[in-house]
Amino acid sequence: MLGKLDWSAIPLDQPIPLVAGAVVLVAILGVLIWVVAKGHLPYLWHEWITSVDHKRIGVMYILLASVMLLRGGSDAIMMRIQQAVAYQSQGYLPPEHYNQIFSAHGTIMIFFVAMPFVIGLMNLVVPLQLGVRDVAFPTLNSVGFWLTATGALLVNLSLVIGEFARTGWLAFPPLSELSYSPGVGVDYYAWSLQISGVGTLVAGINLVTTVLKLRTKGMNYLRMPMFCWTTLASNLLIVAAFPILTATLAMLLLDRYLGFHFFTNEAGGNVMMFMNLIWAWGHPEVYILVLPAFGIFSEVVSTFSGKALFGYRSMVLATMAICVISFMVWLHHFFTMGAGPDVNAIFGIASMIIAIPTGVKIYNWLFTMYGGRIRFATPMLWSVGFMVTFIIGGLTGVLLAVPPADFMLHNSMFLVAHFHNVIIGGVLFGAFAGFEYWFPKAFGFRLDERWGKAAFWFTFLGFFITFVPLYIAGMLGMTRRMQHYDVAAWRPWMIVAAFGMVVLTIGVICQIVQLVVSIRNREALRDRTGDPWDGRSLEWATSSPPPVFNFAFNPDVRGEDAYWDMKVRARQQSLEHDVPEYRDIEMPRNSPTGFVCAFFATVMGFALIWHIWWMVILGGLGAFATFVVFAWRDHDEYVIPAEDVARIDRVNIEERRSLVSMAGAI
Amino acid sequence: MSDQTHMHAEHDLAPGDEEQHSVGVRILGYVVGLVLALLLTATSFFIAGTDLVWQPSIPVALIVLAIAQMGVHLVFFLHITTGPDNTNNVLALAFGLLVVFLVVGGTVWIMAHLNANMPPMDQIMRMQ
Repeated sequence: MLGKLDWSAIPLDQPIPLVAGAVVLVAILGVLIWVVAKGHLPYLWHEWITSVDHKRIGVMYILLASVMLLRGGSDAIMMRIQQAVAYQSQGYLPPEHYNQIFSAHGTIMIFFVAMPFVIGLMNLVVPLQLGVRDVAFPTLNSVGFWLTATGALLVNLSLVIGEFARTGWLAFPPLSELSYSPGVGVDYYAWSLQISGVGTLVAGINLVTTVLKLRTKGMNYLRMPMFCWTTLASNLLIVAAFPILTATLAMLLLDRYLGFHFFTNEAGGNVMMFMNLIWAWGHPEVYILVLPAFGIFSEVVSTFSGKALFGYRSMVLATMAICVISFMVWLHHFFTMGAGPDVNAIFGIASMIIAIPTGVKIYNWLFTMYGGRIRFATPMLWSVGFMVTFIIGGLTGVLLAVPPADFMLHNSMFLVAHFHNVIIGGVLFGAFAGFEYWFPKAFGFRLDERWGKAAFWFTFLGFFITFVPLYIAGMLGMTRRMQHYDVAAWRPWMIVAAFGMVVLTIGVICQIVQLVVSIRNREALRDRTGDPWDGRSLEWATSSPPPVFNFAFNPDVRGEDAYWDMKVRARQQSLEHDVPEYRDIEMPRNSPTGFVCAFFATVMGFALIWHIWWMVILGGLGAFATFVVFAWRDHDEYVIPAEDVARIDRVNIEERRSLVSMAGAI
Repeated sequence: MSDQTHMHAEHDLAPGDEEQHSVGVRILGYVVGLVLALLLTATSFFIAGTDLVWQPSIPVALIVLAIAQMGVHLVFFLHITTGPDNTNNVLALAFGLLVVFLVVGGTVWIMAHLNANMPPMDQIMRMQ
C-alpha cells in the first residue's frame, strides 16, 4: 500500500534532523495559523499564489531562494563546525549524516538558492526594462515557479522522512547506483531535480521568448539594457543545457528503478558517460547563474556612476561569446579521469579563453566607473566587492584550467575555495546587489542603508576569512568532503574558517535585520517617484511598485539608456503637458493552474521516491487533468478600463513631474 | 497585451504562427512534404536491403537520406524558410545545431579517449 514507506523512515534515533524538522514544522504551522486567523488567506490565494503577474512571481522566486539560503547556510555552518572539531576524532556528526549534509548543501545552494534568485530577478525586471506589460507566457511562468517550489519541498521533506543522498551534489555513479546507495536518498535527489528542472526549462523558454518577441516600440536589440542581454544569453543556455541534465538523471533513474545498465559497473555500463553528460550540463549551468549577475552589475555600476555603460557593444559581444564558449569547456571538471593529453590541452585552452570575455567585462565596468560621479550606495558596494572577489576567484580558476596544476589540485579544498569564490563572489553578491537595487521598485520603499552596508562588510570580510584558509588547506593537500582528519597542519585553518563562518552569519543576520527595520520605517523610506536611484532604464519610468499593467503606454525608445534619455528630453522641453488619451488594457487572468499542477507533481514525486505506485498514477492523472482544464479555458484575459488606467497613471505622472522639475531647478 | 504582440507582426512571426495563405496552398505544401518524406523513407528501406549498390556505400547513403529527411521535415512541416519573418527560427535552429554538434562531437571524442586510456582491470591485465 505505501511502498517502501514505514515508520523506520523517520530518523527517531538522530536528534539533529528531527529537532531541525520539528522547528521548521512549528514555524510553518505558526505562519499558517497566523495567516488563517488574520484572514489573509483569501488575499494570499488571489493576489499571490494564483498570480500570473511576472513581478509577483519574481518576488515569490526570490522569497523561495531566501528561505532556502537559510537552509543551505545552516548546512554550511554544520560542516564548518564539524571540520573545526573533527581533528583526530569523529566530531559531532556521524559520517552518513555528514555526507548527506554536504550533498544537500550543494544541491540546495545551486538549484534552490542561486537559480530561483536569478530567475526571480529576471522575472521581476526584464519585462519592465523591455517596456512591456507581461512576459510571453504568464501562466506557464507560474507553473515554472511552483514546480521549482515542489523540488525544494521534496528536498526538505527528506530531512524528516527518509534520508537525502550521500553522494555529493552531482550523485556520481557507481556510488549513486542501487548497489551502493540502496536507500531513498538518491531518489529524493533525482526526482526533486527532475521536477524543478521542468520548472527551470519552462522559465527559460518563457524568458527567451519574452526578450525575442516582446519589446516596446523602438527597443531594438542594440538598445536593450545589458541585463536583458545577459538574460537572453542565460536563458538560451537554460534551454540548451537543462535537457541534458534531465536526460542524464532519467538514465540514472532507469538504472535504479528498472535495472538498466547505463552507468553501472556491470553489464557494459559506463560510469564515465555520466561524468561527461552531467558536466556537459554543469558547466553551462555556472554561466546560467553568473551571466544574469554580470547584467545586474552592469546596471548598478552604470546607474551609480551616473554614466552610460562603457563599451556597450563589446559587452554584448562578450556576453554572447561566453554563451557559446561555455559549451566547449566541460571536460575541465574531469581532467584527471583519463583523457589523453590532446583532449586535456584543448579543453584547458578553451577554459582559459573563456576568461577573456569575462576580463573584457571587468574592464568595461572599471571604465564605466572611471571619471564618473560614484555614489557608494549598498548595491554599488556589492558590485565593487564583487569585482575584487571575482577577479581572485577567476584567477584561481585559470590556474585550475591548466591540466598539470589541476592534477595537483583536483577535488582538494583549493577547488572548493575556488568555486565558492566565484559563486558567492559572483552570483550571490550579484543577487544581493540586484535585491537592494530593485527592492524599491518591487515594494515601493527603499531598504535601510546602514544595515545594508553592515551586511555587505560582514559578508565581504567573512567570505575571505572563511575561504582563504580553505585555499591554503587545499595547498597543504586537504581533500574535500572529509568527515574527519589526522593532519595537524590543517587544523588551524579549519578553525579560522569556522570563525569566518561566524562573521558570514552576522552578515546574514544584518540582512534580516535590514529587512525588518526597513519594513518598520517604510513610510520614511517610501519611494514616491518610482526612480529612487536616478536610474537609466525603463523599469524606473513607472511607479514603485508598478501597476499591474506596468506601463499605461508602451514607452517609445529612441536610444540606449531609454529612461535617462526621456528625463533629459523632459528637462529640455520643460515637461510636456499634453493629456494623453488612455485606452483599455487587457491583462491575463490569474490562474491556480501552476499551484494545482505543482501539488500533483509533489504527490507524484513523493510516490515515485517511495515506490507507491497507485499514488504515482493519481498524481500523474491530476497533473494531466489540470493541464487539460487549463487548455479548455474560455476566458483568459480581463480588461482594465481606461478610466482606471488614467487614474493610476495620473498619480504617477504628478509625482514624476515634481521630481523632474526639482532636478531641473538644481 | 495584444498591441505588443502584434507590434512585430509585419516581419516577424511567432513560431507556429502561419503565414496568411489560402487553405489550398497550405494543403498542397503538406502533401508535397508527405510524399517526399515517404519517398525518402521507402528509399532508405530499399537501399538497406538491396545489393544493387556497392555494399560499403550503404551506411553513407542512409546518412544522406536521413539528413534529407530532416530537411524535408524542417521545410514542409516546421516551415523554416529563409524569409525575413523566419530569422528567429533559423537562428534558434542554428544555435541548437551548434550545441548538439559540440556536445555530441565532444562526447564521442572524450569517450573514445577514456575508453582507450581507462579500460577495466581485466582488459589491462590481458594487454600486459
